[in-house]
Amino acid sequence: MAGIVEQLDNKIAGLLAGWNIYSTVLLVGIIGFIGYVVYDTQDADTHPLLLARQAQASYVRQPGESAIYRSPETPHGYPLRTGLGVKPPGTPMYSAGRDGDLRDIWRRVTGEIPLEKNVQSSGTAKLMTIFGKEGVKEHDIADITKEITIIGKHLKDHGAKRVAIYLPNSVEFLAALFAGAFYGFSPILIPYNQPHATLIDLLNATGADSLIAQAGSLPLADVGKGVARLRQVIWTVEETSRHMDWNEIPEGIGGKIDVSVWHQLVQDHKATPGTLPENRGEAANVVFLWQEAVGKGAEIVEFTQHNLSAAIGALISALPAAQRFTPSDTFLPADAFTQSYCLALTLAALFAHSTVTINSVAGPGVDLSLAARKVAPTIMVASAESAIKLHNTTTVTITSSLKKLAHYLETTILTAGRMPTDSFFSRLNAPSRASVGTTPGKLRILFISERAGLNTPPLSSNDLSDIRIYTGARVIYALTAASVAGAVAQTNIYDYRRGHGPENKHSHFGVPVSSVEVKLKDTSSHKTTDDSAAGEIVVTGPSVAGGEASLGATGTFKEDHTLAYV
Amino acid sequence: MTVTEAPVATPINIVLLSLFVFLVYLRLKPAKPQTLPRAPPPTVFRTFTPPELFPYNGLNGMPVYLAVRGRVFDVTSGKNFYGPGGPYANFAGRDASRGLACGSFDEDMLTKDLDGPLDHLEGLVGEQLDALQGWEDRFSEKYLVVGKLVAVPSDETEADAGGDAKPAAA
Repeated sequence: MAGIVEQLDNKIAGLLAGWNIYSTVLLVGIIGFIGYVVYDTQDADTHPLLLARQAQASYVRQPGESAIYRSPETPHGYPLRTGLGVKPPGTPMYSAGRDGDLRDIWRRVTGEIPLEKNVQSSGTAKLMTIFGKEGVKEHDIADITKEITIIGKHLKDHGAKRVAIYLPNSVEFLAALFAGAFYGFSPILIPYNQPHATLIDLLNATGADSLIAQAGSLPLADVGKGVARLRQVIWTVEETSRHMDWNEIPEGIGGKIDVSVWHQLVQDHKATPGTLPENRGEAANVVFLWQEAVGKGAEIVEFTQHNLSAAIGALISALPAAQRFTPSDTFLPADAFTQSYCLALTLAALFAHSTVTINSVAGPGVDLSLAARKVAPTIMVASAESAIKLHNTTTVTITSSLKKLAHYLETTILTAGRMPTDSFFSRLNAPSRASVGTTPGKLRILFISERAGLNTPPLSSNDLSDIRIYTGARVIYALTAASVAGAVAQTNIYDYRRGHGPENKHSHFGVPVSSVEVKLKDTSSHKTTDDSAAGEIVVTGPSVAGGEASLGATGTFKEDHTLAYV
Repeated sequence: MTVTEAPVATPINIVLLSLFVFLVYLRLKPAKPQTLPRAPPPTVFRTFTPPELFPYNGLNGMPVYLAVRGRVFDVTSGKNFYGPGGPYANFAGRDASRGLACGSFDEDMLTKDLDGPLDHLEGLVGEQLDALQGWEDRFSEKYLVVGKLVAVPSDETEADAGGDAKPAAA
């Protein structure tokens, strides 16, 4: 026994006899590394088990269907979220608040309805427009309120019931939308840049009796002839073109159509006080078009104000408290307002008194760095086309092995459940970033949406992870559909997991938002069994037009209870 | 021994170097994502006839079901009361409506002929119906509705009886 100990002792002594300066360097290196690891170790942004099982499944399912899946915010047995919880002044402190509608959102913007307790803002939301290279112009909220009353009253006096808004993203677009809610007409949101023939078809299909459009964006003579019901046209005119006479009515449509110009109407009624009318009855519905690309046919969907406020409320509450819209946020919609997801998020930003910057360069496929120049947005919403473009243009810049290493290191941090922050190493060797906004690193959330049934390019979970590194922002990937206002489902803001699902396929879409519940109906090829849930996606809830909609896409709920395409 | 002469590849250096490399590997190795055990599959909603419901009385490892006014509740979590040996054991696997309404656990409260028509609760008075409503509300709050109860010769039951007559909840 003693022999063994002695032998071991000799061995160790022999080993240590070789100690030299390199050994000391190595030892210092090891201690330093351990120290760095201890210093550097942080908790994941959210508990990993919260991502391991996300949506709540009902315990009973109907034959031929999957269980019903819901957001953990509104568990089974509780009502789904129906609205915004608007609390006008004087509302008892612990009441739940009204569902609200667009009128309440604008009254929040003007400060008439107060923000939540403990939230400070300048008193109103802020609206800014980005004009190409020229810069940014801030709009006075009181002026826009006045425009809402003037345009709304004008249209109401002329008997408008269904008003087509054919504008790029602009303040006039929002003003016309809110005017519809206050003055009892239905705005029809037509995606911009349609071929003239398609526009005429869409105006006829939606039954528009009035039209608000950019001067010169469409030939009035053709539209006047093609759309029999059209009675009223309001042109919006850019400041640079206001010297021209836009009141002219082309020959051949006679006195049938009344043409007026937005800025002249506003000018003429400057003296009238811009007070909004009292809320009387339900505000009118809003009509959206679900179109794969301009020029193609479109599905017409009419959302009630209840649908919209439920959708907006659910999108607000889907973010954890620390990540919600605040008055210090700058929001940039880089997708078109005619997409209900983009519009709902914009209205959510306005509701929270964020600064909303509007760029008319917005829509599927726009260059995000172009859309965000001149401003430093903290929250953006972009189409999947734009996101994939940003991903591809940035990925090709990663050529050197140092950049690859930096990218790899940030990827490991993301896989560990944390958002990479500026550290010593990332400053020493920063990974490739996309330039979005004037101040790098300001962007904190990027919303990306998949549009069901419209051949949107897929973003895999690895693509999304890369975009997190390129933009330095947390990315939310949402499933949107024609008959569902806002989103059907969207990913958890802290879900950075990679490798979910194959490359070049859509990543999962997280959990249903709190205003809907989702089930999967068996199809001939996909059936729900005790082991897996699959079938056609059916959505029910207050933010669904008509209460229930089938998306026409087959989906599955994965083992972590996230919704994904099959 | 001076610095210039020190050999690099001594055994101790190799040991320390491999330790260092191992630590770096541990650090960079992607952690396995945490997973939860699979959730139990959801129970499939069924249409029961009284004879089909009868085996769900908690004996032989079966779950405990009972029916109230046509709705079948899974009361397995309340096995101490509704299961074998419990005070309400008579109700297990049966239509408990009349018994609950009358506040009586006796055999004669149950529908004797399982193949006969369902108990339509004739002859119950207001107070008893209120009591039944109270029980029903309590059950809806606490337990899952896993099916509905219909009388034996029903078209719907016959259509359904083929495929999912086997207990799906076991």
